[in-house]
Amino acid sequence: MANRIYLHIDMNSYFASVEQQANPFLRGKPIGITGKRDDNETHRWSPHNPIPRSVIATASREAKKLGVKTAMSTWEAKRICPSLILYPGDPEKYSDIMHRFNAIYRGFTHRVEPFSVDESFLDVTETAQDYLGAACIALAIRECLRDQCGERITASIGIAGSKVMAKLAGESVKPNGLTIVLPDETLPFIDTRDLQDLCGIGPRIERRLHVLGITNFAQLRTFPRAKLEEAFGRYGLWLREAAFGRDSSTIISSIEKSMTPTTPKSVGHSYTLPRDTDDPREVKRYLLCLCDKVAWRLRRDGLIARRVSAFVRFADFSGAGQQRAFREGTSDGMTLFKNAWSIIRNLADFTDPIRLVGISAADLQYGRPNPSLFLKEQKLTRLTHALDHLQTRYGSQVWSRAAALHTIIKPRSSGFHFDHEL
Amino acid sequence: MHEFLHDPIDVLVAFRDNRVLPRRMRWNTRDYEIERVNLVHSAREGQKRIFYFSVSDHTNFFKLKLDPENLEWHLVELYTDG
Repeated sequence: MANRIYLHIDMNSYFASVEQQANPFLRGKPIGITGKRDDNETHRWSPHNPIPRSVIATASREAKKLGVKTAMSTWEAKRICPSLILYPGDPEKYSDIMHRFNAIYRGFTHRVEPFSVDESFLDVTETAQDYLGAACIALAIRECLRDQCGERITASIGIAGSKVMAKLAGESVKPNGLTIVLPDETLPFIDTRDLQDLCGIGPRIERRLHVLGITNFAQLRTFPRAKLEEAFGRYGLWLREAAFGRDSSTIISSIEKSMTPTTPKSVGHSYTLPRDTDDPREVKRYLLCLCDKVAWRLRRDGLIARRVSAFVRFADFSGAGQQRAFREGTSDGMTLFKNAWSIIRNLADFTDPIRLVGISAADLQYGRPNPSLFLKEQKLTRLTHALDHLQTRYGSQVWSRAAALHTIIKPRSSGFHFDHEL
Repeated sequence: MHEFLHDPIDVLVAFRDNRVLPRRMRWNTRDYEIERVNLVHSAREGQKRIFYFSVSDHTNFFKLKLDPENLEWHLVELYTDG
């Protein structure tokens, strides 16, 4: 599609801004939103009593100025900024506000693509007609955000002729920026940016580009196309196009998406344990909880899986994983668990402490498992059906296996999705 | 000080412009005047929709939970400055 106009809207220090909106006593202070939440305990925050093993999911603007960065471990953030207030994330709050701002965007165009929990792309070509119209839409959106979400929740907005450029523009002025890159200003603008500023170039890709002698976008544009393709495959061609500010990807509206339903490739869940452990019973309990979560999602969405993979990450960050196929599809938590546990028992001898455990159900198709001829299994199916009814009505906390009664999977604030919405 | 709680409370509210605005709350036999409603959000507990009100007086932040099925209010979070 030629001559499109895209907006990229990125909420500034999103989780921290929402907390500062909710709690005025956090305003103007360096705060770090931590990755996991536990409402079942009363926390008393002090420098000597930080959250055990967590990361900074979002730092407030004040914390960023003092050197705290996203994904930093809490102990490192505290070391850099002793006055940092560690505040537990509240995923349900962030998710509600996320739906609120995406609803605002949909009031301006039906072509909205949420890119992560705090940023979205909008195609406003038809509504705006030109870049002046797009700027007016951006300002109107900013007003709506203020009215409906609160004055502390601000966004940086980029406007350009491609998604990749709109994101680059939006991220060039933070917080609360509005940056418009007109088509004939694309190359001068992109040449002011560093390679890593472009979404799609991380530290590894940048290092590989440096090896080829490419340190800026001008060099990337003039580098022989064939050599780029040789080094990066098709990705090299995308990189070259991006260096010209071009990106052929478009925005598919939710209406268009709903007209072409696709079967998901996998349903999975992983969890970083509260502390590294070499106790197989502890790993087993977490694995059982994860398998029940995955199985519930399969049943809720009417899916069955014919393959399960299980994986672990050890304390030294090395990892191992394997997969196993079933003859018949399943959506039963215990079946997934038995297979996943037999995989993990083969992978880990529990001499090296385990940091993370995860499972993924794959080879999915819509349907139900074949009914069993055996009375005991028929009873279990009926029981699962009844528990699913309870969970639909009252939520995921309504039942637990006795073996997993004291094993709590805390909801995460970070990532591309919220756990409670999965 | 930041605490997570689940204490039943009494709340006096105003209804204005299709919104519920908590004005005063009684917790542990003490009354608190609510000066500002800073944020309202909702969350699902199964099929039930629960409402949360982030409110404050001049020294405390309170997060109040309203269950619209039985009209019960709970104080679920307290943050005191300093």
